[in-house]
Amino acid sequence: MTKYVLEFEDVWKTYSMGDAEVNALAGLNLVLKEGSFTAVMGPSGSGKSTFLHVSGILDTPTRGLFRINGRQTSELSLKEQALLRRNEIGFVFQRFNLLSQLSALENVMLPMINKDSEKAMGVLDKMGLEDKYHKRPTQLSGGEQQRVAISRALINDPSLILADEPTGELDTENAQSIMQILQDLNRKAEVSIVVVTHNPASASFADRIINMRDGKILQ
Amino acid sequence: MDLYKLAFNNIRRRKMRSSLTMLGIIIGAATLMVLLGVTAGTTTAIKDETNSYMYDLAISPASTTGTLLMDTETVSQIRNMPQLYDFREVTLLSEEINGTRIFFEGTNIWKDVKIINGTEGVVINQAVADKFGYGIGSKIKVKDQELTVTGISKEVTALYVHINQDQAKQIAGNRVGAIYVQTNGDPKTVADEVEKQITGVSAVTKSDKVEEVQEMTNQALLFMGIIASMALLVGIISVINTMLISVMERTRELGVLKAIGFTNWEIKGSILFESGILGLIGGLIGVTLGIIGIIAIANVLNLEDYMVGMMPIWLVLGIIGGSTILSILAGLYPSMKASKLEVVEALRND
Repeated sequence: MTKYVLEFEDVWKTYSMGDAEVNALAGLNLVLKEGSFTAVMGPSGSGKSTFLHVSGILDTPTRGLFRINGRQTSELSLKEQALLRRNEIGFVFQRFNLLSQLSALENVMLPMINKDSEKAMGVLDKMGLEDKYHKRPTQLSGGEQQRVAISRALINDPSLILADEPTGELDTENAQSIMQILQDLNRKAEVSIVVVTHNPASASFADRIINMRDGKILQ
Repeated sequence: MDLYKLAFNNIRRRKMRSSLTMLGIIIGAATLMVLLGVTAGTTTAIKDETNSYMYDLAISPASTTGTLLMDTETVSQIRNMPQLYDFREVTLLSEEINGTRIFFEGTNIWKDVKIINGTEGVVINQAVADKFGYGIGSKIKVKDQELTVTGISKEVTALYVHINQDQAKQIAGNRVGAIYVQTNGDPKTVADEVEKQITGVSAVTKSDKVEEVQEMTNQALLFMGIIASMALLVGIISVINTMLISVMERTRELGVLKAIGFTNWEIKGSILFESGILGLIGGLIGVTLGIIGIIAIANVLNLEDYMVGMMPIWLVLGIIGGSTILSILAGLYPSMKASKLEVVEALRND
């Protein structure tokens, strides 16, 4: 039986802007299989960021059904949602979002419930950051910071990684390297990956490319 | 690295702001410690003194008479009452010297005078010695008599000269300021009889006096407590301000923490922990400074014997605990703001 990591059934997300209402998601229907690597593309305002936020339970749909690993998120308490984010989802952001006062190793260990520095060092080693454990984010290049962010996303062995423009602030070489890491994770560790990107070169690493416009998927 | 270490980190990272915030608490806690400590200590000192030196009754001119001295006839009436025995007369005079008023107290109990130099007879205290440059052998004029200083005592709180009670009485025209007596029978009943039989005197029992002192010091304690609490309150308000600014500045960081799975309670807990730490450190430093202040004040007021009584453990723990708890409460509103942050909005924050 096919298992789905994300399931959207007629999902709407509506924002009020003064008197007007804007549908960031307009009846989205989509399923993503476990172990898939999906790139979501679309112009600004197409709803791809909202799609990612709803996928990561950072935002709630206005209506419709949304499930992650078969669990309907609207039935979860705030605490259960937070723990689901912590244990089953890894986030990678465009601006890395590392805590500047912490070292690379401390940033990676931050979401760990049982603080295991050996494991965190192991993940950083796999990212080629074995000599950067104690460097602060400001002492690292953009590519290195993003690899620390990916390490943090992986530390609790999530089943899903959500990446919002992960190569947006990187040069071509670093962008290629980051997308390669994500592809390897998907292929070798069978982690489901969803990447929101403007960049066709980054999207080309995915198995499936979804184009969004006006809160819907273009067929 | 957990959220609690992160909270410590935040305090360390913003040293100047954390120090200024703590300064408010430090000043409040130190003021509270000094004011309440000194008041508590002096209360004990006054009570001890009242208990150890006062006789059953203190008889003095009633306030309605407008005089501070009792004449020979009144004294003789008191001495002739059969309910009274073991009389101790005290006369207090004042004289203006070079525009400054000093007091001459008659005494027969010289051991209480704490002479540090010279002998009994005419003993000036250190304050008089410092103020007028007097020493042993100096001449002081009171009324129409010239006294020669024979000793110097340790007290420095007011300008006092101790002389023999007989001499004080004689200078005052054979009048006395107060007579301390023991009573046969219940002091309260005897006090009523004294006031009824002798006009123009007031008789106060030892227990009345102790109660009066107690009431006075309780009021002083309350008043000092309120003033010092205001100082602490200002410090606590600065904790609210600091934590609100901290939450605002760390909006994005808090958004990241929420995104990577920290619960609202964990976020709230870290903010409360951070504000509690500010209160705890502020309270500890404040109490330490307060204790240093108390030691200095006790030395100046010659209350070394009561120094330990000025730092009761309930006061030390109360101030440290109080500033910590109040700081945690001050962190409540900022922590609620932090936990209610919308993750998506917070992540967009610069």
